[in-house]
Amino acid sequence: MDKNIAIEVKDLYKNFTVYYDKANTIKERLIRLGKGKKEEREVLKNINLTIKKGEVVGLIGVNGSGKSTLLKLMTKIIYPTKGKVETQGKLTSLLELGAGFHQDFSGRENIYFNASIFGLTRKEIDARLQQIIDFSELGEFIDNPVRTYSSGMYMRLAFSVAINVDAEILLIDEILSVGDQHFQEKCFKKIEELKEEGKTIVFVTHTLGSVKRFCTRAVWLHNGVIKKDGQVKEVIEEYVKETQ
Amino acid sequence: MNVFKNIYNYRELLKNNVKKEIRGKYKNSVLGVVWTFLNPLLQLLVYALIFPLILRSTQPYYVIFVCVGLIPWTFFTTSVSQSSWTVISNGNIVKKVYFPREILPISVVTSAMVNFLISTLLIIAFCFIYGLGLTKYVIFFPLVLIIQYIFQLGISFMLSSFTVYFRDLEHFVQIILQVMFYATPIVYSGDTIAQPFRTVLNLNPMTHIINGYRAIFYNQTMPNLANLGVVFILSVVICVVGYFIFRKLQKGFAEEL
Repeated sequence: MDKNIAIEVKDLYKNFTVYYDKANTIKERLIRLGKGKKEEREVLKNINLTIKKGEVVGLIGVNGSGKSTLLKLMTKIIYPTKGKVETQGKLTSLLELGAGFHQDFSGRENIYFNASIFGLTRKEIDARLQQIIDFSELGEFIDNPVRTYSSGMYMRLAFSVAINVDAEILLIDEILSVGDQHFQEKCFKKIEELKEEGKTIVFVTHTLGSVKRFCTRAVWLHNGVIKKDGQVKEVIEEYVKETQ
Repeated sequence: MNVFKNIYNYRELLKNNVKKEIRGKYKNSVLGVVWTFLNPLLQLLVYALIFPLILRSTQPYYVIFVCVGLIPWTFFTTSVSQSSWTVISNGNIVKKVYFPREILPISVVTSAMVNFLISTLLIIAFCFIYGLGLTKYVIFFPLVLIIQYIFQLGISFMLSSFTVYFRDLEHFVQIILQVMFYATPIVYSGDTIAQPFRTVLNLNPMTHIINGYRAIFYNQTMPNLANLGVVFILSVVICVVGYFIFRKLQKGFAEEL
C-alpha cells in the first residue's frame, strides 16, 4: 500500500442476513426447518474508495444507504463479504459515545477504562488525563460515578476521551451534536485542529453544513453504491437537488 | 507473532478487564474479597463433613486432600463457565469499538487465575495447620499452573466464540462441568478407582493437573512429569486450535450479537 494512503477500500461487498424471527434454539430450528424466513440483503455493492492521508471526507446519503456500515467496516468491527478494506495508521472510531462506560465507576476511572479500549497504555493515559478532564469541563464531577451524570455530561466525557487518543485516522458517526452550543463549537474547533495537524478524518453526517465547513471531499452513498465522489460543493449540490 | 504484539499493545485494557472482573465479582457484598477465601472454605467444610464422617473415607488429612483438589477445580469451572458468556456480556463494546477480541477470554482466564492464586494461600495455610509444611517440590507449582492456564485458555477461546452462535452451549457446559466434577479425582483418590473407570479418569486432563497439585502439597512427592508433559502438549494444541477457531469466528461477533 502506498505510504500516502490512509484507507483503501477495494471491490467491497457487504451482505447482511436478515432473519425474520430468528430461530435460536434447536427445537425452533427443527420445527421451522426449511421455512426459516431469512433474506440476504446487499448493503454495500462494489465500493472502491481510496482516502489519502490528511483528507477529511464527509459521507452523506439518506438513511439506510450504507454509510454507517461502511464506517464499521473501516473500523474492523464487521468484515466484508467480498473485497477488502485496508487501513494504515492508528485508527479510532467514534461510532457511539460512551460505549463501554461503567455506570458505577467514576468519570476518572472511566477515562482509564475507555482509553484503554482505544489501545492506550497507562503511561499515555496518565499524560492525557488532565487534557481530557479539562476538555470535558466536568471539573469536580470527574470523581462522581458516571450514573449520576446528566446525558450532556456523559456525552462530553465520552467525546473528550475519544478525541484525545491521538489517532491518525478518526472515524466519526453522526455524533457531532454533542452537548450544548458552546461544547459543540469546542468540538468543531478540536476537529479543525486535528485537520490542521494532518489527521485523516471520515465522518458520517446529515448536517450538510458541517460537511461544507470541514470536508475536503464528499462521498455520496445511495442504496449501497457510491453515487458521487468528489468536490464538496458539487456533491452536495447534486445531493440536495436529488433529495428534494 | 503479530498476535502477541497486538495483545501487548492492548495490555492496559487486559489489566483493566482483569481488575474489573475481580472487583466486580464481589461488588456490593458486605464481605467483599473475603469471599475469595470464604467460598472455598465453606465448600471445603461441606466435603470435610460428608466424606470422613458420613461416607467414612479413610484418607488421612482429608481437609488438605480435598482442598488441593477443590481449589484448582474452582479455577477450572470459573474460567470455563465465565468464558462462555464473556463475549455476549461485553456485547455493547464489541459492537461499537475495535479492540482485539482475544482480550475477553484471556481476561476471564487470567482473573480466574488471580483468584486461584489467592485461594492457594488457603492450601498453604492448611498444610501448616496440619503440620505438613511445604517441601522443595513447591518449585513445580508454577509448572502445573502454567499447564492449567494454557489448557483453560484453549477451552475458553473455543467456548467464548461458539456460544455467540449457539447460546444453548452455556447450559450444556454446566451439565458437562457437573459430570466432570465426578470424573476428576477431587473428593476421592484416583487410586481407589477400579478399571475400566480408571482409564476414563486418566483420559481427563484435569486428573493429571489435580494429581500434580496433590503431589506437590499433599503427598509432597515429585509430580508425575511424564503425565504432565503429555497434558502440556495437549494443552498447547488445544490452545492453538482454539485460537484459530476464535480468530475465524470473531469476524461475525458484531453481527451476531
